[in-house]
Amino acid sequence: MSEVDSLFARPLLPVANEDDADRTATLAFPYIAAAGGRATALHVIEKAGGAPDKAPLEQREAMAEEIFEHVRSAAADAGVEVETDLRYGTDVAETILETAEATDATAIVFTPRGGKAWWNLFSGDTHETLTTENEVPVVVLPSRDEGKEGDASTTGSDDVTTGDDA
Amino acid sequence: MSGDEELAKDLGPLAALTIGVGTMIGAGIFVLPGDAILRAGSFASAAFVLGGVIAIFTALSASELGTAMPRSGGAYYYVNHALGPLLGSVAGWANWLGLAFASAFYMVGFGRYISRIFDVSGTVGMGPIGLDVVTIAALIGGGFFVLINYVGAKETGRLQNVIVVLLVAILAVFTLLGTLRADPANLPAPSTVSETLGTTGFIFVSYLGFVQITSVAEEIKDPGKNLPRAVIGSVVLVTVIYALVLVVMSAAVPQGFIADLVTNVAPGETQPIAVVEVGRQIQGALMGGALLFGGLLATASSANASILASSRINFAMGRDRIVTPALNEIHPRFGTPYRSIAITGALILLFILAGDIALLSGAASGLHLIIYGLLNIALIAMRYINPEDYQPDFTVPLFPLLPILGTIFSFALLVYVESDARLLSFGVAVAAIVWYLLYARSRATKQGILGKYILHWSEEMPDAAVSAATSVQPDGGDYRVLVPLANPEHETDLITLGGAIAKQRNGTLVAVHIETVPDQTALESAREKMDHSVSRELLEQARTDAETFDVPVETHTVLSHQSFEGIFDAANTYDADLTVMGWGPDSHGAPGRAESAVDELASSLPCDFLVMKDRGFDPSEILLPTAGGPDSELSAAIAGALAQEYDANVSLLHVADDEESGQAFLEEWAAENGLPDAELIVDTGDVEAAIERHAADASMLIVGATERGLLSRLVSGTLVLDVIEDVDCSVLLAEKARKRSLWERLLGDSR
Repeated sequence: MSEVDSLFARPLLPVANEDDADRTATLAFPYIAAAGGRATALHVIEKAGGAPDKAPLEQREAMAEEIFEHVRSAAADAGVEVETDLRYGTDVAETILETAEATDATAIVFTPRGGKAWWNLFSGDTHETLTTENEVPVVVLPSRDEGKEGDASTTGSDDVTTGDDA
Repeated sequence: MSGDEELAKDLGPLAALTIGVGTMIGAGIFVLPGDAILRAGSFASAAFVLGGVIAIFTALSASELGTAMPRSGGAYYYVNHALGPLLGSVAGWANWLGLAFASAFYMVGFGRYISRIFDVSGTVGMGPIGLDVVTIAALIGGGFFVLINYVGAKETGRLQNVIVVLLVAILAVFTLLGTLRADPANLPAPSTVSETLGTTGFIFVSYLGFVQITSVAEEIKDPGKNLPRAVIGSVVLVTVIYALVLVVMSAAVPQGFIADLVTNVAPGETQPIAVVEVGRQIQGALMGGALLFGGLLATASSANASILASSRINFAMGRDRIVTPALNEIHPRFGTPYRSIAITGALILLFILAGDIALLSGAASGLHLIIYGLLNIALIAMRYINPEDYQPDFTVPLFPLLPILGTIFSFALLVYVESDARLLSFGVAVAAIVWYLLYARSRATKQGILGKYILHWSEEMPDAAVSAATSVQPDGGDYRVLVPLANPEHETDLITLGGAIAKQRNGTLVAVHIETVPDQTALESAREKMDHSVSRELLEQARTDAETFDVPVETHTVLSHQSFEGIFDAANTYDADLTVMGWGPDSHGAPGRAESAVDELASSLPCDFLVMKDRGFDPSEILLPTAGGPDSELSAAIAGALAQEYDANVSLLHVADDEESGQAFLEEWAAENGLPDAELIVDTGDVEAAIERHAADASMLIVGATERGLLSRLVSGTLVLDVIEDVDCSVLLAEKARKRSLWERLLGDSR
């Protein structure tokens, strides 16, 4: 069609926890299915970098597997092809960006809601960097939790929310 | 992938070493020397060296176990893995509480430093109770370090490296300069041997840190090399530092200087810190200040590392269900095991309030000595049993002499631990056993290598050992459904059946792939050489299928020479309550091939069995023929579970000579077996023909075994039930567990 790939052709979905995975899957998979895309779910285990971590590594690896299970089963239901990618890094935000570039992702897709959604890591100036200097487009899908007003749905979301009737 | 591995395991040799040194040095140098010299005189140094020698045996054993199993949880994990959950519970609780006692002790030391630095002492009244400054500072410090770990500041870990290097540098300068001033004439008179041993018991709290290195073994880079270096290296390093510093402290100042410091304390005054005062005396205020500051950092880093290590122990205990895994939940925002840290923190504060410094250090030592003894025994067990996956990169030299000495010395030193503290340590051990029996036994999921070994060789082992091993095995508490898988084609149906039953019983699904190995191939070499990708795929698929039921799933690969025998072994090993297996030409053991062992084995079924002749899994219309008896009760339970799960229609069929009495029997039977809503069919004539006739409308037929050993004979092909071949729907055959009585064993006839 064109030289530019669809945003949802090879999206990178950073998922912080099981809730985040469910939310991301619910919101993002319809778009990915519509674009016939192939998603990569990314979980980053935060490392202390040369010191004992704040939580056991094995525990977090097991958690990552559970998160990926949620993604896989949701993907199977939605008929979306999905890969999972587990990475380790001392800076989660940086690792997400590196992964996006390394895997030639067409977009980084966030659903900023709930506990420790990684969108919150990109605070203040980093939000700015992410949307200006970063090579990969960032898509923020506003989740429509009842009674909560979105505050993070300002970036690149307008063009993708219109088709969602859910 | 290797790049990721490198990132995941990012503790280098220095970082690993500093965990050990940092945890130990705070107590050894900065808190205890004054009292040690007072007790043992010039033998104080010897008391520390003796402690180091006792620790090094255990350090060797911990290194071997650590390189073989670089897992989270360290000492607890090895003991639980090798010796089973009863002693695992003891090691886990001892390690956890030992670390809490140690942290409380470090914090009291920290409080002393605060008190000396800010030159405040005495008692502050707080309402009706008065607390001295040291305790208040200890509580505040303890609270602070717990908080740091609760919110998870990753900078503290890296700070630890800097602190330890700085401390070692300060002590090196202190020792070097001190040697210049040393005069053997200054040495106090040596004390008696027994007093020296008592001193070793008192200062052994300075040798707890090396084992904490193993608790983060999973994070250590190249653990085969770096873990033994860090564990053994940290013990050697601190022993040398302790010995030198103690000698200098005694020899560089006039006799009586230290005794004066420790004993001539004005009431309400905080006792001066020996190492600081000696430093000030011989090297001036700068060294005194450096040591004062160093002591603050040292006690803080000891406590910080211990709090961190305790959450690893909690995690490993929770994984094995010795404690509830809920304890280890990760905080959604901080990413820390906040509950575990909060509880450990509360214990630390409680211990600071409740215990004096001798009780705290004694309890920490006593509990760790129990662990050290068990650790050495665990090593001996692993070496003798030598399971195939036990491949340590580092091996203890002079086996079994060194671990035996390590065991004896560790337990023997308990004699010299302060008596109240010793009592407390034994109390914790006994409480941990009671805890296991009352709480954890019904929940623990892991069986020790030793227990398995004893049960496996039960015929050759003395009866007492076997019954001891059996009676303490974890029974898992829940209902465990074993599904042996052979053919990918039937995998989904078997897992669906097993999963539905497990779900209804709130149980666990255990999927095993039994790989048949030709008789000529040794199982060990098969494990190494065979391609297990098929097995992995099959089990992965099983896991995915089972997860739709939301039941806990375990998967295992079992190598066996005979598949049917493998199933029985697996049912025993994984403590199954029900085994759901397929049966057919491409399932386990082709019909017609008589497996000689099967008759013998099957006559004492280790658990309930459900054998499926798979013609598609459709439980919508279940037909259950019954004539009463235990096996049809099992069928009824299965039918009930499926009816619940799938809203299925259950029809009961009873073939009787007389319709009226048949109807009465069936009504009563249906009510007794919890199937009051089932459709009742009473028929007359030939049983098999009746079943076949009514099965035409059914999607699934569940048949209880009508005689003992039915399954084994069906599977081995010595018995053919035409009805199973003639119907079009799937057939489930149920046979209840049966243990042979002693009488039957003696007679050798089981039917």
